[in-house]
Amino acid sequence: MNSNRLVLTGEVTEVAELRYTPAGIPVISLTLKHASRQIEAGMQRKVECEVPAIAMAKLAEKAKGLKAGDIAEVAGFLAKRSLNSRQLILHINELEIIEKG
Amino acid sequence: MTILRVALDVPLARLFDYLDTGSGVQPGQRVLVPFGRRQMIGIVMGRHASSDMPDAKLKPIDRAFVDENPLPAPTLKLLKFCSDYYHYPFGQTLLGVLPPRLREGEPAALPVNMGFRLTPLAMTEGIESVPKRAALQRTLFEALQQSPILTQAMLTRITPGWRPALKQMIAKGWVEHVAITAPLSSPIAPSPATQMLNSEQQQALQNMLDAGPDFNVWLLYGITGSGKTEVYMHLLEAMLQTPERQALVLVPEINLTPQLESRFRARFPGLSIVMLHSQMNESERLHGWLRAQNGEARIVIGTRLSVFTPLKNPAVIIVDEEHDSSYKQQDGMRYSARDVAIMRSKMANIPVLLGSATPSLESWHNAQEGRYRLLTLSQRAVSSAALPDIHTIDTRIVRPEDGVSDVLLKSMESRLERGEQSLLFINRRGYSPVLLCSACAWVAPCTRCSARLVVHLRQRRLRCHHCGHEQRIPPQCPSCGNPDLHPTGHGTQRLEEVLAQRLPNARILRVDRDSMRRKHAIKEMTAQVHANEVDILVGTQMLAKGHDFPNLTLVGVIDTDSALFSPDFRAAERLFAQLMQVAGRAGRAEKPGVVLIQTNFPDHPLFHALHRHDFAEFANSLLDERRMAHFPPYCHEALLRAEATDYAPVRAFMGKAQGLARDFSQHVTVYDPVRPQMERLKGMEREQVLIQADTRKSLQQFLQAWVPLLRDLPQANKVRWSIDVDPSEY
Repeated sequence: MNSNRLVLTGEVTEVAELRYTPAGIPVISLTLKHASRQIEAGMQRKVECEVPAIAMAKLAEKAKGLKAGDIAEVAGFLAKRSLNSRQLILHINELEIIEKG
Repeated sequence: MTILRVALDVPLARLFDYLDTGSGVQPGQRVLVPFGRRQMIGIVMGRHASSDMPDAKLKPIDRAFVDENPLPAPTLKLLKFCSDYYHYPFGQTLLGVLPPRLREGEPAALPVNMGFRLTPLAMTEGIESVPKRAALQRTLFEALQQSPILTQAMLTRITPGWRPALKQMIAKGWVEHVAITAPLSSPIAPSPATQMLNSEQQQALQNMLDAGPDFNVWLLYGITGSGKTEVYMHLLEAMLQTPERQALVLVPEINLTPQLESRFRARFPGLSIVMLHSQMNESERLHGWLRAQNGEARIVIGTRLSVFTPLKNPAVIIVDEEHDSSYKQQDGMRYSARDVAIMRSKMANIPVLLGSATPSLESWHNAQEGRYRLLTLSQRAVSSAALPDIHTIDTRIVRPEDGVSDVLLKSMESRLERGEQSLLFINRRGYSPVLLCSACAWVAPCTRCSARLVVHLRQRRLRCHHCGHEQRIPPQCPSCGNPDLHPTGHGTQRLEEVLAQRLPNARILRVDRDSMRRKHAIKEMTAQVHANEVDILVGTQMLAKGHDFPNLTLVGVIDTDSALFSPDFRAAERLFAQLMQVAGRAGRAEKPGVVLIQTNFPDHPLFHALHRHDFAEFANSLLDERRMAHFPPYCHEALLRAEATDYAPVRAFMGKAQGLARDFSQHVTVYDPVRPQMERLKGMEREQVLIQADTRKSLQQFLQAWVPLLRDLPQANKVRWSIDVDPSEY
């Protein structure tokens, strides 16, 4: 059960302030709004979703430059927000800024 | 042939016989003796004609310190009592209370003080021989006629420009420079700083003076700011009028001694005052001890350990903040300095004065029963200073953000606008008490204690506040690998950070053990606050006691709820005392003070009593609970503790110990061994057995039978064990 990878392009809607873990690793939270056309049951459809994401270390420094309205392509893995939460969060391990908004 | 019976610092409940090689050393004097392959310092307890040991086995002493003053018999008697009462080997008791220098093999003496006195020539010629126009010389001549020897300090007090005049007098052969051998006694100078007592203070003082110089235990119950210290000083002034009498003043904390010292020195400029506490260097401690012993020091101010300081001619003992837990020694001989002070006063037949705004329930109970005599100060000494208003903030309704509720923050803001000071009290140093992984709920544990590591964010360290263990903050959760670890909960550092964000114009000073580590940090802090260079103090219990900041009008208390539900039956008593004390920091001068306590349980009776400043009612209701539950002071307790790196030997020892106890436990209750709240501490697995008895006598009889058997248990060698009589922590 090793597969956990999500690739997503989206518009940045929120970027939180950069913070640091107690050990000094930079962390940033952001939200991506995704809208696209996908194939389902052999037919094309519209898809929209908003995905909370988090980036750390160098990727956090890179994500710090993002502003609402920017388009980014990210890849990463999903994990629940905290031990007793059912909410998912995308942990970014690849980040590419496609277009400055 | 003379046999010396010598007390040595070894964990055996007996004395050791040595041969005197003709030194003539007396009981109470020090000897250096061979012990095994080492040499040890011992105290001679007696000279005898014979020994139970065969002559061939007796070794001669290596050295005798015959020139030193022997420890006085009353001191030895007191220590013998303590050794018996606390069931701690006499040799360790005795050597343990000596200043470190007296435990070393070097002679201990006071530095030679030099002074000036009149020569026989001057005595015969008289003051007439001094020319009338040499006014300064005449003044000095008169002064030297009045007291046999004057030191440089004394001369400076008479006239700062004494040097040239005295030089001429020496040249004329009227004055000589000599070593001072006998202690100087100077009369109590009229004090420049005398304050008028109010009628309650006067009444308390008069009651004590009327009762005379004999043994009496006085409990001075005075609300915060009621001027207890002023009563102490008037009492000392009266008791020390008799030349050569001495007073011992015990204070709970080293931090408080500098303030008290300067007040006493200002008040009694003519008296030699000696300070004794563990932060002094070894020679200062030795000299203080020797000056107290030879009678030169008229007032000895010190912490717990100074209760044993020998005094040549004691007149009175004062125990300030008698309820304070620091009076209880928590290792070695686990004595209570307050209780020892009472016993010492009884032996010396002198009065002892216990002072507190929140007396311990033990003392309060004794006063209610008439064993102690209660003196009450119910008004603040500064007549315009009202007691602070104490209110709770219900944190179930007003959720505090970042630890500080809006109500509290607004109150601090308004103080800031008025140029007044606030104090935020939180009894937890560091940034946050827990480092939590939100992904798997791991918290950073101490590997050596049953405790969590505290986050010290600025240093990026985790520290155990119990054993001192320290490590880097891990970059990721050791359990699941998540790097996003969360400091959870609030400590002083975090609160300081939060306030700096919320009140950016405020000058904030953090006061805790970490920030006050440097030697004069506390003195500097006090000066800064007095100079109004600080708007907000964020601090731990360090700030709760003794400080007198006239411009401080608000005290906020963060998170005390854990103490409300502690398994320790003394927790409520301690919390009340602590909150009363910290509340007492507010509004000590003309400006009224306010105290705001954040709690989830605003209806707790403790807060109602606090609101009404009603210690008496609270104490009486706690005493009722204790009576019903049959807890101290309605029973007497001892605790056997044992610890080892592994649990098995602890278990084995405790099992045996409990078995032995059954044989003579008719008059005591012996509970089953249990793990204390801190099961592991400093890498040691711990367990304890509680013993309760209706009377002190039956408890002592039981311990006298039981403890020697414990010493002989083979299992005792595999563990560290101790007996704690009248334990204060479990």
